[in-house]
Amino acid sequence: MIKGTCWVADDYVMAYNIIVQEYWTSPIDKLENSKWVMAGVHEDFNKENGFKDCGYTFIVAGHNFAGGGKSIEHVIAGLMGAGIQAVFATSFARLQFRNAINYGLPFITSPDIDKKCKTGDTLEYDPESGIIKNLSQDLSFESIPTPPFVSEVAQAGGLMNYVKEKIAKGEAIG
Amino acid sequence: MGMTITEKIMASQSGRDKVRPGELVWVDVESVMTMDYLGKTCFDKFRSLGKTDVFDKNKVICVSDHLVPPPNQKFATMLNEWREVVKAHDITYFYDLGRQGIAHQIMVEQGHVLPGKVSIGTDSHANTYGAVGAVGNAVGVTDAAVAMATGKAWFRVPSSVKFHITGEWQPYIMAKDLSLHIMGMMHWNGHLIYKTLEFCGPAIDALSVAGRMTLCNMTVDLGAKNGIVAPDVKTQEYLKDIAKGDWDMLASDDDAEYEAVYEIDVSQLGPTVALPDKLDDTLPVEKVTGRKFNKAFVGTCTNGRLEDLAIMADILQDRQIHRDVNMIVVPASQGVYLEALRAGYLETLILAGAAIDTPSCAACAGIHTGVAGDGDIVLSAGNRNMKGRMGSKNAEIYLTSPAVVAASAIYGEITDPRTL
Ligand code: SF4
Repeated sequence: MIKGTCWVADDYVMAYNIIVQEYWTSPIDKLENSKWVMAGVHEDFNKENGFKDCGYTFIVAGHNFAGGGKSIEHVIAGLMGAGIQAVFATSFARLQFRNAINYGLPFITSPDIDKKCKTGDTLEYDPESGIIKNLSQDLSFESIPTPPFVSEVAQAGGLMNYVKEKIAKGEAIG
Repeated sequence: MGMTITEKIMASQSGRDKVRPGELVWVDVESVMTMDYLGKTCFDKFRSLGKTDVFDKNKVICVSDHLVPPPNQKFATMLNEWREVVKAHDITYFYDLGRQGIAHQIMVEQGHVLPGKVSIGTDSHANTYGAVGAVGNAVGVTDAAVAMATGKAWFRVPSSVKFHITGEWQPYIMAKDLSLHIMGMMHWNGHLIYKTLEFCGPAIDALSVAGRMTLCNMTVDLGAKNGIVAPDVKTQEYLKDIAKGDWDMLASDDDAEYEAVYEIDVSQLGPTVALPDKLDDTLPVEKVTGRKFNKAFVGTCTNGRLEDLAIMADILQDRQIHRDVNMIVVPASQGVYLEALRAGYLETLILAGAAIDTPSCAACAGIHTGVAGDGDIVLSAGNRNMKGRMGSKNAEIYLTSPAVVAASAIYGEITDPRTL
């Protein structure tokens, strides 16, 4: 069970605004990337640790979260470094959805959730059942279940660990 | 129920008879591409998996494109580290400065991408590979590292959407116009998220491999997983001397299932322009003629190929680019550069007043040659036009075809090439 406050975004939060252009060529590093994560999404976050210092645990978003076609993993590393433990949205862009799975950060699809949560609400997410509760407003949301592979990767702590373990044990992949 | 070409590829490359949309499969990859600014991280991650040798030295393809030639010390140093790591892993195909090009162009023109196979790359426009009937997909460095180690990548089988394209291509109308038209129709990153876009019909048969590359290239900007054109005799002809392996001539079954089918008649299609900031804000050229601009850019993995330079040379033959316009033309690879040189296109463009630059991504991502400054209005044949994409946030970028860029450059204002 994960519990914490959420930040509610609009539709179309773009990957290239989560990590702005000047950091695309930086190393991928949770701590470093988290310093300026979300800098291009909102003026309030456009300062060092601007988003991180808000201390959110969840992001709630609308359509096409992390879209715009950038494949850079700084986006996911930055969000994780800033303390984000799950993102709930009505839909996700595929490149970052993939990266999120590979990093073990739950990107959870839940229709309409964005309309019913306010920034600062306390949410509780149960990865087992997929139920998201908004404790501040006494609401509950279902989410689309994650396939077993995705949970296995998350349990291993990401695709790198998952594959590393397989290689070390001499097990085949797939 | 039959399968689409993408489903067939995912099935055959994961050792199954059949797959269905939504299933997760691990597929064998034909090639893994990485390039200068992410490549070192890929190799570092690859080694951290406990491996020293890549799964196949002929199938990990390394390209220098975003940062070459280095514009500053930071990039020069990054390139040095990149070269060292590629050398250390004894990679067979390393397209470094001097043999370089934009990675997606290199992957196709050097035969690393093959019909019926899956290729991945650490850059979003890897969708380009669908032009020769491959599943081409963009991935992050983690997936690339895993594929370098194992020769495999995981995929969720996408559902397919068919674009059946009919009619006759009219003079000066290019694949880019069709791409931008579809963008306006379907919306940028809109309804096509996760889908496979399959392009077929007589107007696709009539397109060159280069045109098919343009079309598949921009499917990523529609939010799609991949774009694909089934291989045909043109594909075979294109690949016969360059292919680095065997291929399978697959096609969709007649009874394959599509989530949606769209029909477009290109006979009705005119030159198309995307307005600054949003890719799906597209209009027929006649609605924007007369708008002034000061920079013209043709290049990128979308439109830096020989046929793009050919149509520009045709338009600019014995004409002059307006004195208020700075035009930069960047061939997509050294191969394209050489061919355009031999064909005389570059001479024509230079005589018209265009600057030719070294094959690379150039100003496309705003980190290199010819970036946009405050107040610039750029008419570009590239693929992205959001604020700040080519440099300054106070610049505007219109996107269109190379033909429109060339015609417009003569007058310094957006011009319909059909009216010259
Ligand atoms: S040309 Fe532009 S879009 Fe294509 S790979 Fe380079 S930076 Fe990306």
